[in-house]
Amino acid sequence: MSPFWLSYLPLAIILSSLLPGLIIFTLKEHQVKLRIALNLLGVTVKLVLVLIMWQAVKAGAIFYFRVPFLPGADLILQGDALSLLFVVLSSVLWLATTIYAIGYLENSPLRSRFFGYFSLCVSATVGLALSGNLVSFLLFYELLTLATFPLVVHRGTPEALAAGRRYLAYTLSGGLLLLTGVALLHSLVQSPQFIPGGYVSAVVREHSGLLQLAFGLMIAGLGVKAALLPLHGWLPQAMVAPAPVSALLHAVAVVKAGAFGIIRLVYDVFGVDSMQQLQLAEPLMLLAATTILYGSWRALAQQDIKKRLAYSTISQVSYITVGVAMLGPLAAVGGLVHLVHQGVMKITLFFCAGNYAETLGVHKIRELNGAGRRMPLTSAAFTLGALGMIGIPPTAGFISKWYLGLGAVATDNSMMLLVFVFSGLLNAAYFLPIVYRLWFLPQRSSWPKEQRLSATLETHWMLLLPMLFTALLIILMGLFASTGVSPLSWTQLIVEREFSYD
Amino acid sequence: MMILLLVLPLAGALLMLLWPRIAPLLALFSAAACSLIALQLLLQVSEQGTGYWLLAGWPSGLAIAWQADTLSCLLILLTAVLQLLVGFYAFAIRTRDKLSQGFWPLSSLLQLSLTALWLSRDLFNLYVCLELLALVAVALVSLSGRKAIKPALNYLLLSLFGSLCYLLGVVLLYGAYGRLDIAGLASEWQPNLLTNSALLLMSLGLMLKAALWPLHGWLPAAHAAAPAPVSALLSALVVKGPLFILCLLWLQLASSQQAQAMAPLFAGAGLAALLFGGWSALRTPFAKNLVAYSTVAQLGYATVALGLMLKFDQPLIFAALWLFVLAHALAKAACFLAIGEMSGTLGGKRLTTLKGASQTMPLAMFAFAVAGGSLIGLPPSGGFLAKWALLQGLWSQDQQLFWPLALVLATLLSAAYVFRVVVLAFDRADPVAPDFSPQVLPQWLALLPALAVWAMALFSEPLLLLLRLEAL
Repeated sequence: MSPFWLSYLPLAIILSSLLPGLIIFTLKEHQVKLRIALNLLGVTVKLVLVLIMWQAVKAGAIFYFRVPFLPGADLILQGDALSLLFVVLSSVLWLATTIYAIGYLENSPLRSRFFGYFSLCVSATVGLALSGNLVSFLLFYELLTLATFPLVVHRGTPEALAAGRRYLAYTLSGGLLLLTGVALLHSLVQSPQFIPGGYVSAVVREHSGLLQLAFGLMIAGLGVKAALLPLHGWLPQAMVAPAPVSALLHAVAVVKAGAFGIIRLVYDVFGVDSMQQLQLAEPLMLLAATTILYGSWRALAQQDIKKRLAYSTISQVSYITVGVAMLGPLAAVGGLVHLVHQGVMKITLFFCAGNYAETLGVHKIRELNGAGRRMPLTSAAFTLGALGMIGIPPTAGFISKWYLGLGAVATDNSMMLLVFVFSGLLNAAYFLPIVYRLWFLPQRSSWPKEQRLSATLETHWMLLLPMLFTALLIILMGLFASTGVSPLSWTQLIVEREFSYD
Repeated sequence: MMILLLVLPLAGALLMLLWPRIAPLLALFSAAACSLIALQLLLQVSEQGTGYWLLAGWPSGLAIAWQADTLSCLLILLTAVLQLLVGFYAFAIRTRDKLSQGFWPLSSLLQLSLTALWLSRDLFNLYVCLELLALVAVALVSLSGRKAIKPALNYLLLSLFGSLCYLLGVVLLYGAYGRLDIAGLASEWQPNLLTNSALLLMSLGLMLKAALWPLHGWLPAAHAAAPAPVSALLSALVVKGPLFILCLLWLQLASSQQAQAMAPLFAGAGLAALLFGGWSALRTPFAKNLVAYSTVAQLGYATVALGLMLKFDQPLIFAALWLFVLAHALAKAACFLAIGEMSGTLGGKRLTTLKGASQTMPLAMFAFAVAGGSLIGLPPSGGFLAKWALLQGLWSQDQQLFWPLALVLATLLSAAYVFRVVVLAFDRADPVAPDFSPQVLPQWLALLPALAVWAMALFSEPLLLLLRLEAL
């Protein structure tokens, strides 16, 4: 491996999904095999490239790839520990979701378009993870909006179109706020690449008001995608999209793009010291805490499975923001690791919801009675995901909540501890009844729209396999949290690097 | 060599009248040759600095003088390239939409008058170019046949009125100073009642011709009535001619007091154009009218930038102004060609004809969406570049908060009307079936300028540098 080749690695990781996506657009509807082959080829290449980068970054390397763009703001792709966290998450889950989507959309129309945009979305997400300064981040942030919109309206029904309009209204306004904030910050300090400890400290004294304004604008812009209160309105509506879209994009890519942006903003643009001097962390933390409680509270009242999961997403993503905003190393570990854990758990739950809908035609929670007997594997996976969300050991969710709790104590935010406990109770209150219905209540009437998708299994194997894979991950990430390959150890590495910049 | 840029289209137009049979070939050839020459000229000028030419060896003052700076060269290049592209498009659809033979010589003359306009730095020469431009444009609009007569006539009358106003201003200045070259006038310029009224008269005429708010009323009807290739040329290029002269007047002639006094008016008019143009685009039921109103709105950006440039005298804002013009020209050409292609194939002028176009004509719809992205100003398109330059320019003055806010609002409006179309295209309920199988080549031709406007990002640094230097 020559160093010349290595400097193109970040670009290659993006292209590995972008190019197959562009080719897929040109395919005819019936070229199923070729399309699947291209999809899987892209996934495999991406995973191999990510693996190469992962090993190098673990050894301490950082990858840069830059193209001149604006004066003072090149387009930079940067492969460091933090970006890899998000890249690995989205690449692995992309693999699972691609298989799921192939099974889910079997025989439905316009698949070339769907998979084309799907690949574009993943490219935008990975680009966003790899972007090395605010301007590049902004670019991929907008691209993600554009690439997800066709997926939200994929079904083309009036309901989907209304959701799509709403989605655009929210995300484009958010993008615009982010643009304004980035431009304002650029006029003060330019846009150098992300660096642990941030780069604004030189002007904190001079321009504190403008910096606070820029931070507010950017948080508002990122908050739309991260579904921070009161900017969360698009997320429950966007659930009209097909299940794989809700699973990967709305549970992982889009909301995490916002959360990831907040992480970058806090640690690598402003830095902990400047955040404290400007007194920005406290309001952000309170806002996120409110969102946690509000999302859980609203989830209680939802009767639609996907809607309840959506409100749960709103609540759970804000755990990441809270962890980041507490500005302590332990809390940061909790927040960062929750980025991965929540993604895996939520995608499992959405896969399950998709399986119920596809196999049984069940969309409402009260129709789930007795589904455990008809679909034991799916129901077991759902139960695992739900337990993880509540934070019961030994699931992954327990690990993140444990570190968040430790962080709250370490940073003297005992109030946050209360928030976590209360929200945990609410989580239990809206997840456990579903689990109870699945296993312990008898089936009420025949399933609304049952399909036999497989002769021996409870449903199509392509719908089953990705779900079991992610469900297994939930347990493994919890059980092996202390080993060297777990997300936890990786976040500890990140936090070590982020907090030792002096 | 520069003289070829003018001779080729002129000679081409004459030959086309003589041999109508090979007119398309001639037009394409001359446009292609002009594009190459313009590129060569741009490279030469950016290396060696501004070039001056006096026609036929007459002494300065008597001769027709040309001046080619980087901005002029860029605009010439843009004109020639768009001419070539639109020519190809018109050629590709010739069997379907019978364009009258008049299109080819007229479009060559349009190129001639625009090129001459970008090169002139003399108020009377500019007048001649302006007049020629307007006449050619009116003739092009009327190519649509009977239904276009009314808007074309309307355009003609208003345009003549605008020319008269401009001419009156020129006469006043000539009476007072006895010379009309801009550099010379600027050296003797006195801010007094006479120059005030001359400037105002000329501005009135130019604003009418450039369809700047509130004098934009004629534009949507005229641009929507013209055939698709013509509307592309009109929106992309023709309205920019008067705008160019307006900039020359206020940035080079007017004294700083006059400029300061006028600045809020321009900025206000631009903002109003952004808001009202955007709003009308959101309300109109017709596809081409939507694009035409978007032109009104987008010209608002340029007007705002002109106003702010007069106020702050900040080179970045000047760069932003011309970036808006370049990005808009490319994006709007793509929009008009895409919309023209879609309404031609799907058979209808209403927006609702575009229902389901993302399935029936994905390429054309994609072209519209990509171009729309630049109109909104999404990174890394040309529109984004312009907006970024404007914001940076504003913030380098201290504590400007009103204008960024206004721009954000205007951007939201443009996003709303662009996505109004895009959302319709994704409607799968009952897609409008094409009347015949869609042609692929014209759709690609519509996509080309849309891709080009995003490719501007690759040249952002040299572009910004060139345009900033031009302002000094």
